[in-house]
Amino acid sequence: MEKKIKTKKQWTVGRVLLWVVLICVAVIQIFPLIWLVDFSLASSNEMFTKGLLVIPQKIQWGNYVKAFIDGHFLLYLKNSLLINGLAVLLVILISLMAAFACKRMIWKMSGLVKTLLLLGMMIPIHATLLPNYKIYNMLGLTDTIWALLIPYIAFSLPQALFLMTGFLDAIPVELEEAAVMDGSGIYRIVFRMILPLMKSSVATVAIMTFLNNWNEFMMASTYLSSPTWKTLPFSVLEFTGQYSSNYAVQFAVMALTAAPAVLVYILLNKHITKGVAMGAVKG
Amino acid sequence: MKRKVVAGMMAALMAAGLLAGCGNTEKPASTSAADKSTSAAATSESSKSESSKSESTASGDAVTLKIFSNLPDRKNGQGLVEQTIIDDYEKENPNVKIEVEALDEEAYKTKFKAYAMDGMPDVVSIWGQPSFLDEVLDAGVLAELDQDAYKDYGFVSGSLDGFMKDGKLYGLPRNTDVAGFYYNEKMFKDNGWSVPETYEDLLALAPKINDAGFVPVAMDGGDGWPMAIYLTDLLERVDGTISEKVNKAVADGDFTDPSFVKATELLKASADAGLFQTGYDSQDYGTAMNLFTNGQAAMFYMGSWEASMALNEDIPAEVRDNIRVFSMPATKDGKGKQTDIAAWNGGGYAVSANSKVKDEAIKFLNYMYQPDKLSKYGWENGVGMSAQDQSAYMTGNETELQKQFLDIVKNSTSTTGTTINDRGPSAFKTSIESEIQNVTNGTTSVDDFLATIGTACK
Repeated sequence: MEKKIKTKKQWTVGRVLLWVVLICVAVIQIFPLIWLVDFSLASSNEMFTKGLLVIPQKIQWGNYVKAFIDGHFLLYLKNSLLINGLAVLLVILISLMAAFACKRMIWKMSGLVKTLLLLGMMIPIHATLLPNYKIYNMLGLTDTIWALLIPYIAFSLPQALFLMTGFLDAIPVELEEAAVMDGSGIYRIVFRMILPLMKSSVATVAIMTFLNNWNEFMMASTYLSSPTWKTLPFSVLEFTGQYSSNYAVQFAVMALTAAPAVLVYILLNKHITKGVAMGAVKG
Repeated sequence: MKRKVVAGMMAALMAAGLLAGCGNTEKPASTSAADKSTSAAATSESSKSESSKSESTASGDAVTLKIFSNLPDRKNGQGLVEQTIIDDYEKENPNVKIEVEALDEEAYKTKFKAYAMDGMPDVVSIWGQPSFLDEVLDAGVLAELDQDAYKDYGFVSGSLDGFMKDGKLYGLPRNTDVAGFYYNEKMFKDNGWSVPETYEDLLALAPKINDAGFVPVAMDGGDGWPMAIYLTDLLERVDGTISEKVNKAVADGDFTDPSFVKATELLKASADAGLFQTGYDSQDYGTAMNLFTNGQAAMFYMGSWEASMALNEDIPAEVRDNIRVFSMPATKDGKGKQTDIAAWNGGGYAVSANSKVKDEAIKFLNYMYQPDKLSKYGWENGVGMSAQDQSAYMTGNETELQKQFLDIVKNSTSTTGTTINDRGPSAFKTSIESEIQNVTNGTTSVDDFLATIGTACK
């Protein structure tokens, strides 16, 4: 009897309303992706019809074939995955260690160093574009993987450090004291104790770094010239004409480019909300 | 004191740990690849400078030419033409390897600035217009070309002017571009409209076409430059010859001359008469063009490079076979005639002044401009008219549209040359291309508009 009342209670007006609103939000959120996939299967001309979505007369799988072959998709995907993967790993490593050093270790400049690192958030990427090019050229780094890896890490680091320090505050110092008593060194504390406790924060940093750098084009186009290390956004460019572009294939490329990012988000999604919220309160 | 020492040591330790940790984790994944690439880049960098120098002198040895292009799509249109010539050249000169780096216009111009500081590629795309070329020539990154060498290349008279400065030639033009109204002849006939004789007829046509449920003129207003061309066209109709007047206005930053006011008013009259589609001021190239190719618009104002529409299989045959063109009609009391056309030579190529293989680069440049390369391939692919005499390549199978464009050029009594937006410094170009929508849709007044673009010249 009680159970019955409970199930009945679940479907009150408020609850139905909540569901309707949530479904609406979900549709709005997912719509761009549906739209992207829909247009990637149409022909360039069908795109300009009046409706919101097009119903292709013939499904144009050829767009994807073109994206793969003419767009050098696999090479660029490999580069993107490698560069972004490395960037994420290094950002996590550096920000975790820096956060620990600035928050938990007692030294005179800890506050200043942290502030200096966080100041990086205020530097606009575009202002550094040409000076960096000059420096890389002098060092012979243009057109190498470092030309992208260095700025990707540098620009993601401040935000990562900010989240990490916020989260680190939530972990009681007593845990570390106990570890020290038991004879653990600094690295053991950081990687065996702190790291597992900060899982959600690490996931957040990973997602943010990955999404920020995945679609980055400005720096990539300036620092790279040969196809060896070009990343996925270049694939879209292969179909950009002088005046008008092959939109349909570009949509196919973008759908393919978006897929890994969506995948990463889905995989790490569980942690991200937690991570952002906790980091935010304890800044 | 002790504390300080301890703190210092800890900091050092942490820094060392950072570096060590950095190296350790990263190594298994990347060093092999990254190290290789850095060392390869470093060696190639140093060896290139030495070897290429000796290579170019000893002909027959391997030479690498770097080409920086603004045509990222290598499978269609102008990009295909460029790539075909490059492939031809590599075939004929097996010792030459050509590396192409291509970016779209915006990214191209950004990277061009970076290259201007250091390490310009050997052959580059340029625009023979003050808005682009002035700053580039001031930086001294382009090599001077020998004018006499190009006497036999059949360049259309005046087409080299934009690429010269102080009597020296720095680049060669790729195309001759002409602006005009593409129109759907069948739609005109079916509805009993006639091709306008004067600008006033054109405006009078607007309500008729609108009433029939079509868009009179599809306009790419979102980009700014097509309307700047439209304004140039009108200026020519009002004044007859605009070159000197515009140059003077740009130099003085003063656009108060009655011709500018009149032309801008005429441009606004087009918008007010409902000649353009709703939302023209934010819609882009593709949207505007598709209004026309889908048969929703009766006319489309654009350059001659779109003459390839008549060959484009993606466009429904009903529209494709009926595309014709007319140039901007004369105004009632203007000094210019319909045959004073808006035509200019925009894009082109140049050789880098600091190129280590300059001789080979110039050789390749000359190869591109051999009459049976850029001109012929361009004509066959329908990407527009070249800046050279191409009468030798008429096949007789030209589309009606191509023939019309040829007639427009052949019968022209004068040409505008570089369009107004490209005649000033880059700040002026940005200003006019972002302000022109505001004056047509009535957000700013004609006088304010002219004052704003005047200020941008200073």
